[in-house]
Amino acid sequence: MTVTEQEITDYVARVRAALADLPTTQRDELTEDLADHLTEVAAEAEGTLVERLGEPETYAAELRSAAGAEPGGGRNLDQRVATAVVRVRGRLRALDTRLGPPLGYATASDFLRLLRPGWWVLRGYLAAMLVTVISTGGSFGLLPRFGGELLAGFIMLVGFVLASIWIGRRSAQLTRWPRSAVQVGSAVLVVFALSSLIQAEDRMRYGDYGIDPASINGPYDRVRDVFVYDSEGRLVENARLFDQNGDPIRLGYPDCTDLADEYGKPLLRAYPYCPNQAPFGPRAPGAVVPSATPESTSTPGSTTTPDPSGTSTGQPTVSPTVTPSPTPSGAPTPTATG
Amino acid sequence: MDTTQLLKGVLDLAVLAVLREEDGYGYDILRRLREAGLEEVGDASVYGTLRRLFAAGLLTTYVVPSESGPHRKYYSLNAAGRDQLARSGKLWRSFATTMDSLLDDRGLAA
Repeated sequence: MTVTEQEITDYVARVRAALADLPTTQRDELTEDLADHLTEVAAEAEGTLVERLGEPETYAAELRSAAGAEPGGGRNLDQRVATAVVRVRGRLRALDTRLGPPLGYATASDFLRLLRPGWWVLRGYLAAMLVTVISTGGSFGLLPRFGGELLAGFIMLVGFVLASIWIGRRSAQLTRWPRSAVQVGSAVLVVFALSSLIQAEDRMRYGDYGIDPASINGPYDRVRDVFVYDSEGRLVENARLFDQNGDPIRLGYPDCTDLADEYGKPLLRAYPYCPNQAPFGPRAPGAVVPSATPESTSTPGSTTTPDPSGTSTGQPTVSPTVTPSPTPSGAPTPTATG
Repeated sequence: MDTTQLLKGVLDLAVLAVLREEDGYGYDILRRLREAGLEEVGDASVYGTLRRLFAAGLLTTYVVPSESGPHRKYYSLNAAGRDQLARSGKLWRSFATTMDSLLDDRGLAA
């Protein structure tokens, strides 16, 4: 006999589930002999029950119409849930068999079963990383560490991987509670892995935000804007800063939103972002010029025209002498504007 | 209209007729129906019909132990079943005759 007891039991269960909407007595009446009947059928011919009789749901539909049992009006929630569960299981089974051939296997679950040892190893690694995060206190890379110790971390990794494989190989024999514990633990590790991946992704994408790392965690991280003054104490507008390689130096962030850039890229704008927030006011005409350094006055043109090509060895000096004149509070100037 | 749909109306009669000659178990009845020419009849239909006829009190059952395979549940006609078969058979004959003459009158070949 090619049909097992289990197959018959499953078949009957699915037929009964498909008839879940019938009154219980009627359903029992229809299916009380079904297992015996299927055993007879199984004894008569070759092939599985599904091959011979079709899907249990189809069988149930035919049985229903032959027996003259129409769906009952009062379906309770349990019956509806049971029907839905059966339907979902059927769909999943169909999907399983449909996805199998493209993968080169009879069913997709056949293929996934082959990947299980790989998952066991990964699970061991994830458990080691979880302990790393907890014991090291947040900062961690890709290697496991125990309390920051790399060697201890590796020993832990090997131990966890072996334990995970051992659990994986024995999972079929586990009783209900240990198995549930393993499943919950695995789910926690999966969530942990996904959240770590998202974190790592964020860290790697950081540069794309257009903020120079120098302005983060550096001495300039409190700089919001840059104001360049020439030797005469005049505010230089549209100044641009470059480093020795010709790369633009980006500091601060324009928080005066009324001055929008035509390209919509505020960080590529020239300094200052917000000229009206300059710390020093404009010099009043006719005021006394403070003593300027001679080299700055001799080359006034070169101060704000760096070589962006980066080939020049000369270092563009943006503002060699920042000598802002203080606000003309002390100087008696009748023409002062403010 | 296909045979399956026609079968729905007359499967009771067919099952009763098959059981008149000899008692039978489910799969055996299905086989006899198919041998008689009702090849499209399904297992679930026969099983469901047997259950319904049994529930209607037209059939009795008994179990026969088998040394080679599973125990088999045999169905047999009781008095009510034979009575039903006689009435249904008569009804079918007259219905079939009516249909035959209806088609004959209009020149449709058999």
